[in-house]
Amino acid sequence: MANFTDAASLQQFDELLKNNSKSLTVVHFHAPWAPQCSQMNDVMAELAKEHKHTMFVKLEAEAVPEVSEKYEITSVPTFLFFKGGEKIDRLDGAHAPELTNKVQRLGSGGGGAVGAGDVPKEDLNQRLKRLINAAPCMLFMKGSPQEPRCGFSRQIIQILKDHNVQYSSFDILSDEEVRQGLKTYSNWPTYPQVYVSGELIGGLDIVKELVESGELENTFPKTVSLENRLKSLINKSPVMLFMKGNKEAAKCGFSRQILEIMNNTGVEYDTFDILEDEEVRQGLKTYSNWPTFPQLYVKGDLIGGLDIVKELLEGGELVSVLKGEN
Amino acid sequence: MSVTPDLIRKKLIAEIGAIHVDVEDTSPSRCAASFKVLVVSPQFEGKQLLQRHRMVNNCLAQELKEIHAFEQKTLTPEQWEKQKAQ
Repeated sequence: MANFTDAASLQQFDELLKNNSKSLTVVHFHAPWAPQCSQMNDVMAELAKEHKHTMFVKLEAEAVPEVSEKYEITSVPTFLFFKGGEKIDRLDGAHAPELTNKVQRLGSGGGGAVGAGDVPKEDLNQRLKRLINAAPCMLFMKGSPQEPRCGFSRQIIQILKDHNVQYSSFDILSDEEVRQGLKTYSNWPTYPQVYVSGELIGGLDIVKELVESGELENTFPKTVSLENRLKSLINKSPVMLFMKGNKEAAKCGFSRQILEIMNNTGVEYDTFDILEDEEVRQGLKTYSNWPTFPQLYVKGDLIGGLDIVKELLEGGELVSVLKGEN
Repeated sequence: MSVTPDLIRKKLIAEIGAIHVDVEDTSPSRCAASFKVLVVSPQFEGKQLLQRHRMVNNCLAQELKEIHAFEQKTLTPEQWEKQKAQ
């Protein structure tokens, strides 16, 4: 059919774009060895019947490297959408419903009134603002953290992971409007781009420099896992007592008794009121595999509860245990 | 015309007063253009990293459209001297 063809060279490709500049051209970068590409070619054939004014082009990605490299085609199938000789959208992967949707949306309409142009742009800016604020730290990248699709995106993910940064991400390969719009919105021409509290921090180079200068920790929100938090708490002082209440006011009999014993040893210690923090209260039971409170720690190691402390006292070992000897 | 290290160097010197520019062409063979640049300029004085990188990005706005992967490091002359001393 007239609106479904092959491009076997750069020259043919350019000619097709030129000849069809007034309406939509869809280019399918495919490979004969990929089964999804065959399926998508079938989808394209069906779409070509329904959209007579849209040009559909199959281009074997590896056979025409000049075109593939120009448009950064890194996997097949990939679809590019052209109008007026310019690329206006992109779709990576075999998403038949999305391809159909894009052909329908991009193929219809076109020019429109002069004023109509303002509405989409306003919507886009609102959308971009919403996206960069979607999480305290937002990474706009190629692919996803699980499957990064360019070297720079891969590197930045590794850095964020190494530093326990908590972030969400957006795959710019999934939305050409966002991909191009954000470059203008943020006056930053490349990806990845990383934002904190809706402010652009920069790209990979800047993140690397933040690592070198030691400023990265201050810049990005950090994941503090419960385990890390508990570890930090039990090491807050050489001797840590997790109890109900505090030194001035114990709120249960066992806590009161252990305070009395501790005070009599003359050893310095700190306390944490588990009644103030349910997460710590429950977490510490699991972390230390000890079901009750009070719990006494020396240099981060669990000694035990009241009964064990009493036994240590009777055996004359308590002070040396508290000092971390033996 | 395709982007060359020399073009990048000349633009950075002319437009942002760079006193030293290292341009490394990191393009893998048959792949799209990739460059790594070190730029030393007094105009970076008192500017945050983001501003500095933007200055370079804006200077090379046309070239960046054709560059696949671009890496940069921006230093003031003072930082450059300090780095060389290490």
